[in-house]
Amino acid sequence: MFNQRSLNGSAGRRKWRYAIAAGAVTAALALTSCSAGGAPEESDTGELSGDLVFWSSFTQGPRAEYMEKMADKFTAEHPKVNISIETFSWGEFETKWTTGLASGQVPDISTALPNQVVEMINVDALEPVDDIIDDIGRDRFSAAALKEGQKDGKSYSVPVYSHAQVMWYRKDLLAAKGLDVPTTWDEFKDAAIALNDPPTTYGASVPFGTNDLMGTRYLNFYVQSAGGSLIDDKGRADLTSKAAIDGINYWVDLYKATSPEGSINYNVLDQATLFYQGKTAFDFNSGFHISGVASASPDLLDDIAAAPLPRLKSGDPVYGGETSNIPLVVWGNSDNKRAAKVFVESLYNDADYIEFIHSVPGGMLPALSDIADDPAYQDNDILKQFADSVSVIEDVIPLGSAIGMESGPTVQSGIITSQAVIEHMFQDIILNGTPVKDAAKSAQDKLNQLFVASGVSFK
Amino acid sequence: MTKARVSIRRFTLPYTFLTALAITAAFPLLWIVISSLKSAPELAHDPLSFWPSAPTLEHYRHVLFDLGALGNLGNSLLISLSTTALTIAASTTAAYGIVRFYPKVGQRLTQLLISTYMFPPILLAVPYTVIMISLGLANTYVGLVLAYLSFSIPYAIWMLTAFYQTVPIEIEEAAYVDGAGQFRTFLSIASPIVLPGIVATAIYTFINSFNEFLYALLFINSSDRMPISVALYSLSGSEVLDWGAMMAASVVVVLPSVVFFLAIQRHIAAGLSEGSVK
Amino acid sequence: MKVRMQRSARIWFVLPAMLIVLALLVYPVLSSIYFSFTNRNLLRTAYEFVSFQNFSFVLSNPEFWNAFTNSIKWTVGSVLGQLLIGFFAALALEKVPRLSGLYRTLLIIPWAFPAIVIGFSWRWILNDVYGFLPNLLTQLGFSESNVSFLSSPDVVFWIVIGINIWFGAPLFMVNILAALKTVPRDQQEAALVDGANMAQRFWFITLPHIKKVIGLLLILRTIWVFNNFELLFLITGGGPAGLTTTLPIYAYRTGWGLHQLGMASAVTVLLLVFLLAVAAVAFRVINRWERIQAR
Repeated sequence: MFNQRSLNGSAGRRKWRYAIAAGAVTAALALTSCSAGGAPEESDTGELSGDLVFWSSFTQGPRAEYMEKMADKFTAEHPKVNISIETFSWGEFETKWTTGLASGQVPDISTALPNQVVEMINVDALEPVDDIIDDIGRDRFSAAALKEGQKDGKSYSVPVYSHAQVMWYRKDLLAAKGLDVPTTWDEFKDAAIALNDPPTTYGASVPFGTNDLMGTRYLNFYVQSAGGSLIDDKGRADLTSKAAIDGINYWVDLYKATSPEGSINYNVLDQATLFYQGKTAFDFNSGFHISGVASASPDLLDDIAAAPLPRLKSGDPVYGGETSNIPLVVWGNSDNKRAAKVFVESLYNDADYIEFIHSVPGGMLPALSDIADDPAYQDNDILKQFADSVSVIEDVIPLGSAIGMESGPTVQSGIITSQAVIEHMFQDIILNGTPVKDAAKSAQDKLNQLFVASGVSFK
Repeated sequence: MTKARVSIRRFTLPYTFLTALAITAAFPLLWIVISSLKSAPELAHDPLSFWPSAPTLEHYRHVLFDLGALGNLGNSLLISLSTTALTIAASTTAAYGIVRFYPKVGQRLTQLLISTYMFPPILLAVPYTVIMISLGLANTYVGLVLAYLSFSIPYAIWMLTAFYQTVPIEIEEAAYVDGAGQFRTFLSIASPIVLPGIVATAIYTFINSFNEFLYALLFINSSDRMPISVALYSLSGSEVLDWGAMMAASVVVVLPSVVFFLAIQRHIAAGLSEGSVK
Repeated sequence: MKVRMQRSARIWFVLPAMLIVLALLVYPVLSSIYFSFTNRNLLRTAYEFVSFQNFSFVLSNPEFWNAFTNSIKWTVGSVLGQLLIGFFAALALEKVPRLSGLYRTLLIIPWAFPAIVIGFSWRWILNDVYGFLPNLLTQLGFSESNVSFLSSPDVVFWIVIGINIWFGAPLFMVNILAALKTVPRDQQEAALVDGANMAQRFWFITLPHIKKVIGLLLILRTIWVFNNFELLFLITGGGPAGLTTTLPIYAYRTGWGLHQLGMASAVTVLLLVFLLAVAAVAFRVINRWERIQAR
């Protein structure tokens, strides 16, 4: 065998060994880039100093630029503070903070979704921020938004903007058929069927894809309209109430009547694209739809408008189907909390804050109630053009909450939206013909099982 | 004449097969390239329109400059080229060493190494991050490249052992007779013979490290140091969905790998075995 | 003295690679096995031992077995398809006298797609309302109305396997092509002189040279496809109605998405045990080939 032969040429071998070692060192040196600077000392008074890391999920151009500008402005006032803003999308942020917490790498400040805030509070990852809220003015925030970040009387998150789900419709299509804007679920279904003209236009697309929360969102609208909730007051999943069963039947029927067949597996991207392209007459979304339609189909912009979500019976009051209050949080592990808090507060200066809100007009609505009436805020072309639609959204924002958070922040809310149990239930009913009540019962059991597995104890 | 016709017929089947495959393989890239050149409104209408009526580079400008993907692209190239070079350096020697010096132990060892592939990356992510932090390598390219090496080297050793095994021992013995050393034999006799295999492995390593997303996201904390794959993910996760930008960003991510492949693919075809094996 | 130096030099061929891999993998792998016996939550540091509780929960869950079956179908279908297409593409490329460089380049393209681009470009092309392909088929009269490739239970599994074959065949093709280049031409010519026909030359000369590469690729791709989460999650999310839910998606739903590190680790360890068993069988086959070859 070759490997047993004695070989010549040890000089060559030695040279090679050095070459490898040298190569490795060179590669290492070439690649090394210095990591972030050391931690500053914290003091209660005196000049602010040190490094601040801010994980921001404001990914779109103008919003991201605005944050950079605010950081520069802050550094100009506090020259010893160095702020680095790192932008991650929501999905990336979820991966980043969960593994970051486990490995000890979290920022000083970050944006967060209400579901995430609940989990962060539960593992004591956040710093109370009541002082920031009081400085800005507690009564300027909506009580519902503040409640989503509270535990045992302390606030852990500062709302920075809000949006809410409403019904979007095509004015031109309704007018062509001489239809009024629907106000109840029955009217909605009739109108959607009347406008259904595939493949040119679909009345409404009903999305049940398991890589998103759309099915849960739609069911929640219906249950909310009946004054119910997907999480009962004991903290258990409730998919077998009359409202929930009716809701499931309603969406299954509507799927069969007016939705593209493929929507059974649509995620939020597929669903929104249909409305952007003018392929659906109705859609449910927030004010972010304005920007989406504006860029994809500018000629449709004059034909879209928003109305409150359909009610159960005519004469029922407008209700909050789903409100998203996006907050900022200060992390408990931060070694520069004082500077972090001063920076967060600086983002709420009226003039600057209005500029921030204007970066996605109609999509992001002010978390400070008085700003909505500020002439400087109202002075924006999109906001003027969509004044009626935006005021519809503004009206429902204080009425709603995140899915499953009607009675305060719960871990269940995150599970019900992330585990695709309800979406799977819808698919099962439609494809396998499973009876609605059976499917609802087993989805409910599944959710409760997941709640327990996540350490929830029912009241 | 007759001969030519026979040869045409002989090649009809392979050419038909290859053409069908080529269309299937290339169509999605072609389609995203075409789509990325359409304006947003055109993209939103008529799904069957093929050529952009008014081609625009606006989406590319947006992605490369507004969103800073150009810098991310540079990071990606640095990271994946380093990973590829180091992987090939470490694995060719290791594979050669296993084949020639430690065939029995080596076999077992490589089989053990491959168990690394059996763990989903997300589960290894937490302990990996802990290691990176304790080594002071968090937020450095060194850390990221090391992590990629730990995945690419087992694969590379695996494949390369199979290739080095095909090198006839007689050629190397002849080289020793000529006075070549161990390393020179490895470098200038054995490796050129398996060059197609090395190139195939290099392509694999390059593409994998260029497209890797999870570890880049977790280990790197500064957005401007992120590779392009991470930047691509952020585009798809925002509240307003911009198909044009997503198409352009996809092209920007896919093209470097295709170019890398173009640059080295002829070495796959040019096996040196005919020349060396007498 | 001389002998010892040579020994140490040999070690240096192997050592750098081994060190990097072992140093970085031993701890993560062992810690995963350890956590599979705990109720560790990703976000909390405190945890308790639960012995085999995670395992019994998972193994008694019908969803696990549904996902297991799907995983097997998905893996076998995808890997065999990749092998067949890659193998015949490589043979065809070897055979054609012209343009093989162009074809090689075109055929490799899918491999350069990251999972996320595969996900949204195929969703874009296959969407039943605005997708190019369903509209084209309707326009050409192949279908009366647009086909829903990604949601129709009859076709969805074949479509995702097709996408995976599209993506994975180039890896087989490139490696088999490289292996074909190591087949010594003189042996081919000698066989030709001896009057062997094409099938005989392939069977006795080409195949022995490339079968180890094919064997290793099969093992690697089986592991990769079996463990892959992103591709299916981004294309179908495991739907519709669980038809494309494979074990990694199941693991994500039961463990990772809920930050239940212990539970997620248990599913992973089960995957590992299964894959190790499959690999052990494959290794035996490959080792036998080598013994036959060595003879």
